[in-house]
Amino acid sequence: MIGGSVSKWTMSYFAMGIAWLFAAEALMIAGFGYPGADVAAPETLVLVHVVAIGWLSMCICGALLQFVPVLVGKALVSEAGALPVLGLLTAGLIALLLGFLALGGRLPPWLWLLPVGTTLLVAGFGLFAANIVMTMWRARPLAAAARFVLVGLAALGATAALGTSFAWALAGYGGSGLNAVLDAGIPLHAIAGLGGWLTLTAMGVSYRLLAMFMMSPDVDIRRSRTTLLVGAATLGLAVAGGLAAIAMRAGLDLVFVLTAVCGVATAALYGRDVVDLYRKRKRRTLELNTSMAVYALTSLAASVVLGLALAVRGSFAADIGAFVFLLGFGWLSGLVLAKLYKIVAFLTWLETYGPVMGRVPTPRVQDLVVEPRATKWFAAYFASVWLATALLFAGQAPAFRVAAFGMMVATAGIVQELLRTRMLADVTTNARLPQGAKLPRLLHS
Amino acid sequence: MTEYLDVDVRPILRAGGEPFSVIMAAVDSIAPGQGIRLLAPFKPVPLFGVMAGKGFAHSETEIGGGEWQVLFTPMETPPPAAVPATSAGGAWPEPKIRLDNRELDPPEPMVRILAAAETLGPGETLSALLAREPVFLFPQLERRGFNWLGGFLPDGVTYELTVRAPS
Repeated sequence: MIGGSVSKWTMSYFAMGIAWLFAAEALMIAGFGYPGADVAAPETLVLVHVVAIGWLSMCICGALLQFVPVLVGKALVSEAGALPVLGLLTAGLIALLLGFLALGGRLPPWLWLLPVGTTLLVAGFGLFAANIVMTMWRARPLAAAARFVLVGLAALGATAALGTSFAWALAGYGGSGLNAVLDAGIPLHAIAGLGGWLTLTAMGVSYRLLAMFMMSPDVDIRRSRTTLLVGAATLGLAVAGGLAAIAMRAGLDLVFVLTAVCGVATAALYGRDVVDLYRKRKRRTLELNTSMAVYALTSLAASVVLGLALAVRGSFAADIGAFVFLLGFGWLSGLVLAKLYKIVAFLTWLETYGPVMGRVPTPRVQDLVVEPRATKWFAAYFASVWLATALLFAGQAPAFRVAAFGMMVATAGIVQELLRTRMLADVTTNARLPQGAKLPRLLHS
Repeated sequence: MTEYLDVDVRPILRAGGEPFSVIMAAVDSIAPGQGIRLLAPFKPVPLFGVMAGKGFAHSETEIGGGEWQVLFTPMETPPPAAVPATSAGGAWPEPKIRLDNRELDPPEPMVRILAAAETLGPGETLSALLAREPVFLFPQLERRGFNWLGGFLPDGVTYELTVRAPS
């Protein structure tokens, strides 16, 4: 079929992602991992992977399953592949987290859990990527946003390959080569995952979603291509350059400086494209999802400025935790939450009313949401994240836990809004469930 | 042995154009018994129904690089009676309804097109101008048995969609 129908499992991915977000916030409230522990401590690794894989990757995968067919105008190669991927990712993440706990001495030394976890994760992400790439292959030539996703997937591959080699080395199965990668390669894994997979993919999808939701003309393909080229170069430089430096037993400083320069350039080019999308929009009044995206984009800009300031001051390594926190929760999580608010409403509307549209009066998408109520929760979320970032910089670990509690309350508020939307609880017109329309199921479509 | 007129719509599509009228002009220009060899950068599924309505069977082959060659061969037997005659434009009559949805906020264009489509009689068509490709509309149309044809006009920003009610 040409075009976009509702993906059956997207809501399940979102629900699983949200569950992991709550888990991450609970860990931070409990003082588990950074800042209570070192940034490289096993407890911090648990926290980071809950956020990066459980929450962010899960939501981005769910969104891609829905929107890649829309981006390229072709149905997914395998709709049925979505559910096994969800299972593999969840099982792999749990095994990986248990492996980290074993590494930290909180479990018996079952370090084989680490390679088991990465193997399951590689299988899950591999199946997922194969599905997406084969769908895109059928739809050549590719739209600009789809190219971002492709580069993002390449970065996911690099992240997974590095993570796998760490797991084997930590479990004691690595030779001297893998051990050398483990000793120096963790920053490369973080750059590929956070900067490549999560950020480039989010950027690509945001081009399309922002244009769609604000009725803006698409970003000029030459401009978005430049942004992508610089982004891909940043990534290639970090991973290939970094591995080459490790192989030659040289320091990584030069690689990091070049990566930083290219990374800042990518963010600046992306910023230029996005400002254009907002300026040229035909929908003058911003909806909640696009106005909240502004705070996420501001967090990205603030991360870049902070990163530069830290680098100039020479304290980047010391404050890296706060920097990554702002990227992860201000930029990536903020953007994902804002877009979820719109995507859940839109998909629920399409699923419920699509079959009867035109035959009977149906509510509008905006009738499914109450934006003023949700705005308060989003404001509380971003305020808590920014406060938490400031407290991390100030070294106030106990106060940080209070800010994390604020994040959790705000997240719960946002999630409650999503649930109400999904259950059509705020549709007040008497056309809530016209003849022939069915209430959607909560966790899948 | 059927003779085929070559119609290559790849350059038109690459330039952002809409090849439908070119194809229909070619259909009108060929001699009885002659067929059309179409070269397209994708498998032109919506066209198969239209050409069947005009009395052509299709056989498609992927020629590499995602591109397709489709042979439209005149059918021995006339098309089924349900589909109107093979005279040019017979299967797709002039639109009964014309909508300009370019200035509407999504998903309003989709709502209006579906509402208008429901008022069409058997085999009647409507046409709509849109500011973007209505990707979420297509499955809804197909589920209801409507045929559709769409593409960007030569200006590259206006999308023209024609919807035909089941006959």
